Amino acid sequence: MYKDQTISTPGKPLGKALLYTLPMFLITFMFLTGGRPDFTDTTQTVALLTTFMGMNLLYFLMHFTGKTDRYRAVIFIIFALSLSFTLIKNMVEIRNSMSFSQADIVECKIPFCHLVIPMMIIPAAFTKSIIFPGTIIGGFADISSMVVLWLIATLVLGRGFCSWGCFYGGWDDGFSRFRKRPALRKISDSWKWMPFAVLLMVALTAALTLIPTYCDWMCPFKAVTEFEQVTNLESGVKAGVFISLFGGLVVALPVMSRKRTQCSFLCPLGAVNTVSNKVTPFTIKIDKTACNECYKCVEVCPLFALTPDDVKRGKASVFCSKCGKCVDACTKKAIHFGIKGVPAGTMKGFSRNLFLFVSFLFIAVFSSGSIMFTVRSLLNLIF
Amino acid sequence: MADSFILGLSSGTACLVTCGMIMFPYLMAGTAGTRRIAIDLSAFLLTRLLVYLMLATVAWYFGQAIFSSAIVHTYLPGILFVVFAALLIWYGIGKNRKKACPAKIVRTVDNNRLVPVFLGIVNSIGFCPALLIIITKGATEGTLVQSYLAFLAFFAGSSLWFLPLPFAGKIRKREVIGTIGIFATAIAGTIFMIKGITLIVGGIINV
Amino acid sequence: MKRIGKIAGITWAFAGLILIIILFPGLNGFSRALAKMPFMKINPNYTGGEIAFSDSLPGYKFEIRKPVFDGLWKERTHGFVQLDWRGDFPEKISDTIDFDRDGCNDFRVTIDTKTPETDIEPLHNKVGSLNVSTSTSYGWTLRVNISK
Repeated sequence: MYKDQTISTPGKPLGKALLYTLPMFLITFMFLTGGRPDFTDTTQTVALLTTFMGMNLLYFLMHFTGKTDRYRAVIFIIFALSLSFTLIKNMVEIRNSMSFSQADIVECKIPFCHLVIPMMIIPAAFTKSIIFPGTIIGGFADISSMVVLWLIATLVLGRGFCSWGCFYGGWDDGFSRFRKRPALRKISDSWKWMPFAVLLMVALTAALTLIPTYCDWMCPFKAVTEFEQVTNLESGVKAGVFISLFGGLVVALPVMSRKRTQCSFLCPLGAVNTVSNKVTPFTIKIDKTACNECYKCVEVCPLFALTPDDVKRGKASVFCSKCGKCVDACTKKAIHFGIKGVPAGTMKGFSRNLFLFVSFLFIAVFSSGSIMFTVRSLLNLIF
Repeated sequence: MADSFILGLSSGTACLVTCGMIMFPYLMAGTAGTRRIAIDLSAFLLTRLLVYLMLATVAWYFGQAIFSSAIVHTYLPGILFVVFAALLIWYGIGKNRKKACPAKIVRTVDNNRLVPVFLGIVNSIGFCPALLIIITKGATEGTLVQSYLAFLAFFAGSSLWFLPLPFAGKIRKREVIGTIGIFATAIAGTIFMIKGITLIVGGIINV
Repeated sequence: MKRIGKIAGITWAFAGLILIIILFPGLNGFSRALAKMPFMKINPNYTGGEIAFSDSLPGYKFEIRKPVFDGLWKERTHGFVQLDWRGDFPEKISDTIDFDRDGCNDFRVTIDTKTPETDIEPLHNKVGSLNVSTSTSYGWTLRVNISK
């Protein structure tokens, strides 16, 4: 269907691509080493260099080939896998199990994740406290750091957080790439409003019960991180829900539909990020003069963020996570990363370079800890 | 009580987009001022409250008679929760959901002062799956007061959505709010489905 | 107007760039500032509440916390009380507890920390069932459901 269309190569020449990579190279080196490189531990050095070089290679390839999503997905999926590996390894080493015990809850030792944020807002306003058994500051995944990270990222990237920062999104992004063509094509895009219903329900139930109900009952990623020890019927049912949702929304449906169904149909934080997409300076624009309305972008969008109407309007909807899949797919170079206020079809290169630098820097530094930990653990396992 | 309130709140949105749309044109019809709208809305909500309190009483006494047998008390509430929750989920995600509300029959009533009362009655005994769930809950409560509290919480949750009804015309994305409300209803159904399954499995384990 | 929009957009985008660059080096500082906000404390439903009474016994310390009834906007009728044994506590705990210090015993508790079997015998109708009985990094924690 698309073979007759021009396939363009929007990449940069080698020298220019290297030049664009240089600032990322220097700044990630600074952040990953903390400004004081220490190469005394061989395993740690290998882990650091592998992570650092790998990340910068991906960033270089984004500039050299002009493709975004292909290389973003690599780091995004590795981030998701490495974070789960890090969490599970920590849990198994400390507790000999992936499940946390009542003692961990009583002692408020549960690692905090950004998905709790929508549930803690109403109770924080009314009770002046946080309804999560974690640590406010210090220790692994403390509440303050996670809130700051998410807040700034969502302010700058909007729903871009879901494709450039969320350490869970890589799971269904990865599974959505298993098949070349979708086996399930007809999914009503009204389902994309479901996360708002989930948000409404979990925010209310959490406020009324003072329990983070999404984490307690619904989070599919409990299946690959940590969950409550199965000691009674209720915890058994919960484990069943986590596993079913993971199997259905993170594995089966993404494989069948090539869409990120968990992010599109369930995640309540995705709904919040959709709202913050209104604030972010970065967006996806469509140059209507160049667009031939082939709707390839609509077909490939993993988050139902583009409809034929959006294409006609010349911009992606608020559901867009700026993954770049549509940009990569557009044979006419009509769809591009843009900055709000800047007309579509202008300053394309500048907008893309700026967005890539900001978003890649975020994911590179945010993911580096868990990726290095995973590489080091794997090296220790092999040698 | 929290689950009854949530059930009311979630089903209230669906109720609003169906039954509320009958009430809305009535309220907006003619030159009804704020005072008239407030009076009609109060009559509508008060009627709903009275009907719910009556239903709470009937459900509880009925429950006392039905659930006196231990085996019935162990399994029937769980089964009813599962069945009604399945209906609620079906309503939420079903493509061919019935868009009309039984309240439309009130259009035939030719008495302006009685319309809100009739609407209140028809709306509250519409026997939607959410109401069937709350009846089951009321029937299985330990005391009559608890049954009243469950219905009151359900009433409070579902009524919240009717309060801004006079301003419904100003809401720009009414269709989107309706979609979100219907999905929320399906989630409430899922919560009660899990509750029902837990009751049944718990019954099996304890027997 | 279009020019102003364009300049505002680009300025905001550069502000975003600066925010992301300072985010990681400044994360500690930002987090500490956030942690000082009045709502940044864990809800008593999780921490177990403040210590109301503490008793030092040979080798270990026994603490009773303030009963927790915290709800969203008002206290609930049902809550729990937490008891902690810190340090080298006995293998078998058997005690009678007056958690609200009203001079009237509220419940009797027996814990075999090895098995770990826990029995609660209510001595007052405000005491309900066992909520949590678990070993912790500092000793043993018990939570008992109570009502007002």
